[in-house]
Amino acid sequence: MNLLYATLGLIALYIYVSFASLLWEGIDRKLVARMQRRVGPPLLQPFYDFLKLMSKESIIPKHANKFYELAPVLALAVSIALLAYTPMGFAPLFATKGDVIVFIYLLTLIGFIRVLGAISSGSPYAQIGAQREMIILVSREVPMMLALFTILWRLNNIGVEKPFSLATFYQRNIWELGTPLALIGTFILLVVFLAWLASEIEVGFFDIPEAETEVAEGPMAEYSGRHLALFELSNAIKMFVSASLVVAIFFPWGISAYIGLNGTLALVVDVLFHTLKVFAVLFVSMSIFRAITGRLRITQAVQVFWLRLFPAAIIGSLILAIDLLGVIA
Amino acid sequence: MNGKIEYWVKIPIGPIHPALEEPEKFIITLDGERIINVDVKLGYNLRGLEWIAMRRNWIQVLYLAERICGICSFSHNHTYARAVEEMAGIEVPERAEYIRVIIGELERIHSHLLNLGVVAHTIGYDTVLHLSWLARERVMDILEDIGGNRVNYAGNMIGGVRRDIKDRHKKAILDMIQYYRQEVMPKVEEIFLYDPTVEARLRDSGVIPKRIAIEYSAQGPTARGSGIKKDVRYNEKLGVYPDLGVKPVTPKEFTGVIKGDVFDRMVVRVGEIWNSMEIIERALDQMPEGKIKAFPKDNLILVKLKKAEGEGIGRYEAPRGELIHYVRAEKGKDGPAKWKMREPTFPNLFAVARALVGEQLADVPVAIASIDPCLSCTDRVAVIDANTGKRKILTEVDLLKESIKKTKEINPNIKARPERIGIGRCML
Amino acid sequence: MTPEEFAERIKAKFEDVDVKITENKLPHPRKRVWIEVDRERFKELVRFLKEVDPAAQFSIIIAEDRGDRLTAKYHWEMFWEQGESLSVIVGTSCPKDDPVLPTITDIFPSSLPYEREVQEFLGIKYEGIPDPRRLFLPDDFPEGVYPLRLDETGIKPEMVKNAGHPYRRESR
Repeated sequence: MNLLYATLGLIALYIYVSFASLLWEGIDRKLVARMQRRVGPPLLQPFYDFLKLMSKESIIPKHANKFYELAPVLALAVSIALLAYTPMGFAPLFATKGDVIVFIYLLTLIGFIRVLGAISSGSPYAQIGAQREMIILVSREVPMMLALFTILWRLNNIGVEKPFSLATFYQRNIWELGTPLALIGTFILLVVFLAWLASEIEVGFFDIPEAETEVAEGPMAEYSGRHLALFELSNAIKMFVSASLVVAIFFPWGISAYIGLNGTLALVVDVLFHTLKVFAVLFVSMSIFRAITGRLRITQAVQVFWLRLFPAAIIGSLILAIDLLGVIA
Repeated sequence: MNGKIEYWVKIPIGPIHPALEEPEKFIITLDGERIINVDVKLGYNLRGLEWIAMRRNWIQVLYLAERICGICSFSHNHTYARAVEEMAGIEVPERAEYIRVIIGELERIHSHLLNLGVVAHTIGYDTVLHLSWLARERVMDILEDIGGNRVNYAGNMIGGVRRDIKDRHKKAILDMIQYYRQEVMPKVEEIFLYDPTVEARLRDSGVIPKRIAIEYSAQGPTARGSGIKKDVRYNEKLGVYPDLGVKPVTPKEFTGVIKGDVFDRMVVRVGEIWNSMEIIERALDQMPEGKIKAFPKDNLILVKLKKAEGEGIGRYEAPRGELIHYVRAEKGKDGPAKWKMREPTFPNLFAVARALVGEQLADVPVAIASIDPCLSCTDRVAVIDANTGKRKILTEVDLLKESIKKTKEINPNIKARPERIGIGRCML
Repeated sequence: MTPEEFAERIKAKFEDVDVKITENKLPHPRKRVWIEVDRERFKELVRFLKEVDPAAQFSIIIAEDRGDRLTAKYHWEMFWEQGESLSVIVGTSCPKDDPVLPTITDIFPSSLPYEREVQEFLGIKYEGIPDPRRLFLPDDFPEGVYPLRLDETGIKPEMVKNAGHPYRRESR
């Protein structure tokens, strides 16, 4: 019975997140347009795009292999599976011990499937885009994982039920530590996470794999019609999920407890409030970042990860460790 | 060739590519992200202007020259008019020379603002694109006010200019300069001289060293960005420019160093906008009263030119660099016996293709955009499709027929017969 | 170096060439040096230009069909480092039944695209050109047709389509 509810919940979540993430894309385009003193497309433009793409003919290149058609389906399937392990204002549906590993694994898998699909298309642009995506992929995960595990380890030390699970964030949160040192460390890690988020959704500095003026949308160069629509949707869901992780770590508070709700209604209110927080995080990490920066070269982006963000993550982690172990206290 | 060749990837940039505004083709050989070789193929925009010009008279060629390119439309007919004047020994009234300077510099401002936006777009910095093109609207409005058109302002005539600059225009231009000085240029400088993203992307990319720039005859801001102090307005002592204090702008005056990269070319453009505004102010100040054309009526020009014989060269510093027109007249002929032009993009394109070897793929679009390529200028020479080739070339008529056929296949119920618009309607 | 001095130097070195100086009627009159030379001595003259000013800027080849000869005029801008520059036009020609000129790409590398252009449009063969491929014309353009020639090897009327107004067409 419990499994049935969880499955129904996942389907409901999938429909809701598809809607919310496409809506955010519309809001983002409108906001950035306003920052650039343009009118911008209608708010529902991503929905129109999606529906139109679904109804269009999908052209498959002559040299593409079978995986070319399979990749978009797999990408969407993985992103739906990812939703089951995503904190959405409450603990993930299939929460279990150590589910954070599954979360990161699935998140990386989406990028990996994009790369496979791109290579299968046989286009030189897609291959260059795929190369770039792989380089970014291996660079961006390191600082993020270091930061994530430091926080989980720190929370583990103040006592939680299931260590190293995403549900941890809703029991204790990192700001509760309260010491000045911990606040500084947490703040540094927040910056690392925001930069990671920007690179995960490939905007601003990190719009490198899909750089339209250089490699003509990179991995997506050959995709069209339904296949492109599936990729667009899985990308939108991935964007929402990545932002959800940042929200769960740093801003996990719900409002249902304050206004005294419980049961299903509480869940709905929490999801809506969570969505608002996701939009706020995306506004900083996506819209503003996109409006005020341009794209870097691939070597410069790798340098940003290894020479800026990785040391920042180490420093943040060390500060949190010092805070716990009381070396200087 | 060594064993490494199997790892090399050849990728075509163009003929249609998001980074290019106009069709051209760069075949780039890559080893990973590093460029091994760049090959340029032109001719996707051939309209056969020289061939068409053989069938036009002197005045008609003036309008043809204007339509070589939309951005530097004034430069082309200005240079053509100068070549014809030199050939026939026509003296231009001084006021007309000043008006040519003013319109030419206004055009330089709008062309450089356009290019600043395009370069920002190629590095993914779209906010700068939108804001700099918004600022460009002001000078476009002025040009429309003077010439009647945003793009082809048709200012020139052989032996003078067609339209006078009145007090109303003078006031509008001074207002515009005020606006640019106080609101636009500080922001432009902030972005292109000091912004870290722009500096990270444009510094050390697409470097054209001074030696290569001289060897490959780079022109205009591309050459000046490499530290070559060359400006046709200055070297040629063109028109009344020497009285207005024109000087080649090099990045040394702004940043103190010359590296010859994309950043330096953009610095030159920013400097030239400042310089152009000063020149316009001085020109408005010093402009004498008087007539604006040497011939009151156009047919007098034709009569005079029909008797003329000889050859003339006109040179002018277009926004992108040195522009040359050559004309040769034969006695008793209505039009030029030979008209030939060379645009700055032509040498710049080969200079930048040479400079790209050894750079990263990510630098290709920005390096190409930084010379401000004007390919409709460059591809201008011959005409005509070949019947004997293997491919079948479709004309508009054929395309329209095919399109109607396809529509009827999809929906046989459509009864309407589409008509082609324009003059000379005909049956399909 | 003034145009007159330059003309003297050319005359001293190449006694048989034809040198003239023209002047236009701008507010600051501008002089140009026009040189006419045989194709046998042409390359020698170009080398001399490079010797006189190593930074000379090559700018254009103006090639023309003049009846039984094909002419080519080359323009250089010299001494641009010293303010007012010198505008030099060197003309040479070849007979139509032997349309061969020496290449100058070894002296001025920037002349390569111009020579390729002239080669495909006028059919002047450049001796020793490093890259004789076509530049502007499509690869399937017929051999032996040179669009800017005025004789029967030029564009034939039946090759011209859609000239003039795009929507007007002669009745079939």
